[in-house]
Amino acid sequence: MNRRNTVIPGLLCLMLLSVGVAKADEALYQVKDGYKVDANTLQGFRTWRQAACDRCHGANQEGMVGPSLIDSLKILTKQQFKTTLIEGRPDKGMPIWGENKAVMDNLDNLYAYLKGRSDGAITKAHVQPMDQ
Amino acid sequence: MKLCKLTACLVGAALIAPVVAFADADLEKLMSNPANWAAQAGDNYNQRYSQLKQVTAANVNKLQVAWTFSTGVLRGHEGSPLVIGNMMYIHSAFPNNVFAYNLDTNEIVWKYAPRQDAAVIPQMCCDTVNRGLAYGDGKIILQQADTNLVALDAKTGKVVWSVKNGDPKLGAVNTNAPHVFKDKVITGISGGEWGVRGYIGAYDLASGKPVWRGYSVGPDSEMLIDPAKTTTWTDGKVAPVGADSSLKTWKGDQWKTGGGTTWGWYSYDKALNAMFYGSGNPSTWNPAQRPGDNKWSMTIWSRDVDTGKVNWVYQMTPYDEWDFDGINEMILSDIKVKGKDTKALTHFDRNGFGYTLDRTNGALLVAEKFDPAVNWATGVDMKSGRPMTVAKYSTARNGADVDTKGVCPAALGSKDEQPASFSPQTGLFYVPTNHVCMNYEPFKVEYTAGQPYVGATLSMFPAPKSSASQQEGTMGNFIAWDGGTGKIVWSKPEKFSVWSGALTTAGGVAFYGTLEGYLKAVNVKDGKELWKFKTPSGIIGNVFTYEHKGKQFVGVYSGIGGWAGIGMAAGLEKPTDGLGAVGGYAELKKYTDLGGSLTVFALGN
Repeated sequence: MNRRNTVIPGLLCLMLLSVGVAKADEALYQVKDGYKVDANTLQGFRTWRQAACDRCHGANQEGMVGPSLIDSLKILTKQQFKTTLIEGRPDKGMPIWGENKAVMDNLDNLYAYLKGRSDGAITKAHVQPMDQ
Repeated sequence: MKLCKLTACLVGAALIAPVVAFADADLEKLMSNPANWAAQAGDNYNQRYSQLKQVTAANVNKLQVAWTFSTGVLRGHEGSPLVIGNMMYIHSAFPNNVFAYNLDTNEIVWKYAPRQDAAVIPQMCCDTVNRGLAYGDGKIILQQADTNLVALDAKTGKVVWSVKNGDPKLGAVNTNAPHVFKDKVITGISGGEWGVRGYIGAYDLASGKPVWRGYSVGPDSEMLIDPAKTTTWTDGKVAPVGADSSLKTWKGDQWKTGGGTTWGWYSYDKALNAMFYGSGNPSTWNPAQRPGDNKWSMTIWSRDVDTGKVNWVYQMTPYDEWDFDGINEMILSDIKVKGKDTKALTHFDRNGFGYTLDRTNGALLVAEKFDPAVNWATGVDMKSGRPMTVAKYSTARNGADVDTKGVCPAALGSKDEQPASFSPQTGLFYVPTNHVCMNYEPFKVEYTAGQPYVGATLSMFPAPKSSASQQEGTMGNFIAWDGGTGKIVWSKPEKFSVWSGALTTAGGVAFYGTLEGYLKAVNVKDGKELWKFKTPSGIIGNVFTYEHKGKQFVGVYSGIGGWAGIGMAAGLEKPTDGLGAVGGYAELKKYTDLGGSLTVFALGN
């Protein structure tokens, strides 16, 4: 996978295909064909992978030892989502991510990716860059 | 840490030699009496075989529930209780509660409830299991998740000593059972997915003092390898490993976060004064990041129990590309191998090969697939001892960010930690197996101390049907295996992976549990199902047996969990043609839910 996906093709795609964004004023994520996403959302996916979230929440976010994020992201506010990551829920098995720089630097991107999955706009867990 | 009061220390020191000899003989005596179940495998050979024969193939269908016990914890329950005389010692998943239960009065004599930092829970890969207790020298030994190794007075439950075995802040935690060999407590470490460098450690049974620690990877001195004396199988013979046998197979400093953890079941041969165990996967799961054979990850080890010095090593999966974690148990038996009487070591690896070695010197004798579905290698080259890998299933060759499809077995192996049994009566091994394949996509990860260091995304699905007798979509088999020839004698399909430790008895019965929650009894001769009973939850515990007041009892924990139980219900992509009934694991929800209890059976009147 090419990591050097530039912003400009992403923006072009956005203008050509404004799809997948549910009602928000600002685009939280952009998605084409269900799995081609903007650079930030892609970064969210990579963060998800690096932090090995799939080991508890499932490769498709459908829940395993940890809850389904497809469901949870319908309930949690963005702030609650962030708090859960920063503080963790250690007794339930959710790590404290507050000290993990890669996760902390990408909270918004991670939220965008998971929200897109939860909304059903991103139809495949394994996303690709839009410019490919 | 409070080791002992001064007076007790002095007394201990004065008596140390005789006490130790006595402790060793004492445990041996307890294990030789089949009324007890004094070690996790019942013995030091990891045979999980009992001489008891009140329950037989003819009457096993009359088994009834005798009593039940809830551990109060609803998570995966692995391992089994211990039975010593009229006492049973029961353990739970995290927070690792221990109960001493009087079988005469049916009362809890004491309960030990450790206080552990909940922060270790997220670090425990694949559920918060604990594989059980050990007994020795009047003490119950508990290996807590937070790496504290604790000795409890078997009579009172009071802490005799406690010692820290690792640093959970770096991802090092424990799920393994401790083992008492001779005058030592042997324990390992988990955390291969956190870049923990694996080791095995010995602690003094009397005091808890560390005696030796041998790492799986790194400099010879830290592995306790003697380049001239430690041997391995190479070029058709046993030969010294030579200097820097591990360092030479890693790039730069990568061995420092190189994995090779040790969370399986260990065995001990008194005559050789040697212990045997397996080391796990190299870290990370992305092979591109760690070129080389990554020795001695994925390796069978023989060490001297007193000094930890390595007698021999045999690496099963050099340069792992699939997470075929080599920790599964080593079963010792004296059998005919290819017609010759052999002091054998038999091991069913995650990689799908059943190995038999000469345990006196590590010579490779047999290496054959114990599930016909295995496809990542065509076989093992008996001269070099290396697997003959198949290019299209090489995740390293296909590279990072490429999904290598249809690798069999899946990362959870043709068999995971669930231990097999050996019956001296039939000379066969009885093996609980998985029949699952995977897609594996490695990706680049950065190492950060104390953070996950995984580096691959997996999806798993039932193995394709590989013979006419198999049913479509089954995910497990319970098999009988001839370790002397490397052949499957019979195979009994199961809907889900068989993730429960097997037991065989002199009554001609083999027992195992299923993920749906059934405890099953089959005939050792042909695998014919003789009896089953549905327990409160899915079974990932090991079946054990004991005798009390002249009656034979058979018991097992239920409490679904572990990688198979919960992990597999998800992670499945949409059904793909030709891959069988994908979604089978999700079906587990139709049969069972969380639990944490012990069910004990005996013959009805």
